[in-house]
Amino acid sequence: MSYKCSRCKRDVTLDEYGGVRCPYCGHRVLLKERSRDVKEVGVE
Amino acid sequence: MTEDYEVEFVEREEREARFVVRGITPAFANGIRRAMIADVPTFSVDTVRVVENSSVMFDEQISLRLGLVPLTTPVDEFEIGDEVTLSIDVSGPNTAYSGDIVTSDDLVQPADDNVPIIELKDDQRLEAEADAVLDRGREHAKHQGGVAVGYRHLQRVEVVGDKEEFAKEEPEILRGVIEDDGELVATETFDNDLTNRYPGKEVEVHDIPNAFVFHVETDGSFSVDELVTAAIDSLHGRATELKEAVQL
Amino acid sequence: MELRVIEKEDTMLAIEIAGEDHTFMNVLKGALLETDGVDAATYDMNPEQSGGQTDPVLTIKTEENVDALDALEAGTQRVIDKSESLQAAYDAA
Repeated sequence: MSYKCSRCKRDVTLDEYGGVRCPYCGHRVLLKERSRDVKEVGVE
Repeated sequence: MTEDYEVEFVEREEREARFVVRGITPAFANGIRRAMIADVPTFSVDTVRVVENSSVMFDEQISLRLGLVPLTTPVDEFEIGDEVTLSIDVSGPNTAYSGDIVTSDDLVQPADDNVPIIELKDDQRLEAEADAVLDRGREHAKHQGGVAVGYRHLQRVEVVGDKEEFAKEEPEILRGVIEDDGELVATETFDNDLTNRYPGKEVEVHDIPNAFVFHVETDGSFSVDELVTAAIDSLHGRATELKEAVQL
Repeated sequence: MELRVIEKEDTMLAIEIAGEDHTFMNVLKGALLETDGVDAATYDMNPEQSGGQTDPVLTIKTEENVDALDALEAGTQRVIDKSESLQAAYDAA
């Protein structure tokens, strides 16, 4: 799961022990990036 | 032949036309109209694979907008359900237009290249691949080829005398096409008000039986001629199919 | 187009024409009413929301010496003639 720190804008990878926190600057607000998968959408 | 029709054009352009048909029954006229709207198939984007969309709109919104872009549809080249792949790749700061859509088959491409899809700011990008499918207007409005199709009675105008000296001056609004002394006149030429054409005259307006003025406008998928021909052909095809089924 | 005869007598026919809608049925009904030997022609169709029978059912009643099935064939031929004639008139304009 990849996130981006909202303060230092660096890419962050979370593991199960670290909790929700940026390892570089300690900021607790992380933004989830869009998946790089191709998304298929039906046109209704 | 049982029927004798007479067709006369009032206006004729590639995508829009007005013409009078004489000797047509209301049932048949309506059948042609409905066939033009719902039964003549056009290509339209049906599935979108979004590779990157960092714009401000959701993938679904972008897809809907792609679906609404009219695509050229050559008649008799494809069958219902056929697919053509398209793609788009635009980076900001720029606006993605229908003209940015790249097609894999030159027969099927955007009818207009100035339909805005999304405005992209710095660092925003839209990259997607789309499948256009051929289907009918009755499945989804995006497949409608005829967008403003309708008809009115042709009306005959007769001058019956002069108005009374102190008669109220009331407008006589007409819309469509009138027949005046054997001549077809669009009502716009006298600002849709008969009193402009015949000031101070008493006039009578009557519908002419079995004469209809069709107004046909297409979304650019094909020309008016192709749309009308395909609509007539659709009714013809169904009658033939039913006849053959009955004969068995 | 799938046909299912619901009722058939010499001068009467009720037939379901699956997959068709008002676009064709009304044209056909109109043509049938203009056809010689047809006393009555109508079709019945229910909206999708109603449930049950939604495909149109065409009913024809003909004069004594006319078979209803022949009348239907004549009616379809009339629609074919009309469309060919209109196409010719359009092309000529």
